[in-house]
Amino acid sequence: MTDDAGIAVSVEGLAVTYGGPTAALEGADFSLPAGSSLCVLGPNGGGKTTLFRALTGELTRLHGAVHVDGRPAYLAQTERTRLDFPVSALDVALMGSLANGRWWLPARRSDRAAARDALARVGLADRAAVRFGELSGGQRQRVLLARALVQDAHVLLLDEPLAGVDPASGERIEALFRELRDEGRTLLVSTHDVDSARAFDRVLCLNHTQVAFGSPSVALTRAALERTYGDEIVVLDDDGSDGPVRAVTVQHHHH
Amino acid sequence: MILVYAGPVSVLASLPSPGDLVELPFMRTALIELVLLGIAGGLLGAWIVLRRLAFFAHAVGTATFPGLVVADGIGFSATIAALAVALGYAGGVERAGRAGRDPGDVATALALVVALALGVVLASDVFESGAAVDRLLFGTALGLDDGDLWIAAGAAALALAATVLLGRAWTAAGFDASGASALGLPVRTGDRLLLGLIAVAAVAALPAVGALLVASLFVVPAATARLLTNGVATLLAAATAIAVAQGTVGLYVSLWLDVPPGPAVAVVGSSAYAVAALATATLRRPASVVAEAT
Repeated sequence: MTDDAGIAVSVEGLAVTYGGPTAALEGADFSLPAGSSLCVLGPNGGGKTTLFRALTGELTRLHGAVHVDGRPAYLAQTERTRLDFPVSALDVALMGSLANGRWWLPARRSDRAAARDALARVGLADRAAVRFGELSGGQRQRVLLARALVQDAHVLLLDEPLAGVDPASGERIEALFRELRDEGRTLLVSTHDVDSARAFDRVLCLNHTQVAFGSPSVALTRAALERTYGDEIVVLDDDGSDGPVRAVTVQHHHH
Repeated sequence: MILVYAGPVSVLASLPSPGDLVELPFMRTALIELVLLGIAGGLLGAWIVLRRLAFFAHAVGTATFPGLVVADGIGFSATIAALAVALGYAGGVERAGRAGRDPGDVATALALVVALALGVVLASDVFESGAAVDRLLFGTALGLDDGDLWIAAGAAALALAATVLLGRAWTAAGFDASGASALGLPVRTGDRLLLGLIAVAAVAALPAVGALLVASLFVVPAATARLLTNGVATLLAAATAIAVAQGTVGLYVSLWLDVPPGPAVAVVGSSAYAVAALATATLRRPASVVAEAT
């Protein structure tokens, strides 16, 4: 809970579980002003998706408090959606209108118009009838963004939105992100791309617990990244100071 | 089928008039039963195929078998016994799923084996059910009464109401469960209702198609329709049409060859699936070759 009307997301002492008594993520404690962007870093299984699913209310809170301005939109990694599902791009965008709370009623004409407008805005007006699974990775991500626009979510949770997306689509999606922030929406983006985190207002490092939170210059230090990623991090340039570093993650495959 | 060696000519000669389906009173009852079950099976089947619950639908029918044997042996209501077993099984699957432990194919297969084995042991050694076993496993067109019709009508009405009211939420949740949760949809309640509804409808289908062949009504028509359609609404419509047609033709075959309706409906439905699968594979192959060449 917060007194500040300009706060879009606040998380206090959050611990989350998938059902058992042990926490999948604990010690999360941060807040974001409306219209800001947060980059969520962490290894696979480090709690990025867990945090998002706690913010949507899907997962059980063990303790702590969460406040989100309105109902957040959740954009899963598109390969976690059912690509064989017989829904078109328009069908998926139209799902955003279910957030009005009257999901048992058929879609209204105005809902359909909003879904078409949203697809046009993400540049997919001509792909409305194409099956979601037949679109490219970048196009799928834009369809999910259209669903969030129909929902008119103030807070968007994006799970690795640029994974598997070609560079041209990636630029288009990042341009959309900037537009959404200019409208005052708040974006939380999880990624493995440590270097891209420098472009965000805030960075949150998770490894089962909150390792670091703050502006890129505060959160992207060698110490924080090593505590976040362990031996998966390779620091590229480091002038020896405490300031931010450039780094990449490497995936270790254990057999 | 088994009777072919009576000689193809005599089998053809015994071909009944299609009018018998409506003129013979017991056949008329059976026809109404299969049309009602076709509506329930087609609609729920579409959700079963979309949500990948085919094995569950098969298992929930088979799981009722020992319950049916016991009910038959002690003269208790078969419907209530089957409903208790089916809902119990669905509840177990739902609990396992909620705890994040998918019951999985192995557990389902084990449940199937145990249910069948237990049913056979009870039927042969405890209740000496004899000829009733055939009826319990494969259904009957002869023994259906008004009570069965009302139960089938109830299942059809429930399937239709649930599809109208929950269809959008089921679609959104099946496509992307976390995204649907974020939209504020009752994903967990919707899943629970779907499992429960499949259990209830499977019980409604038992008198006609038996415990072993529930999937012939609840999986096969929708699987065929899935090959031929490319949207949720068209899938629902096509699955229902195919289920009703397959039930009618299957009933006719069952009258002709004097076999229970369960196997006849299953053979007709599976043949339709095979034809649809072959046809779509043949039609789609040239297109994909062209796509690869360009």
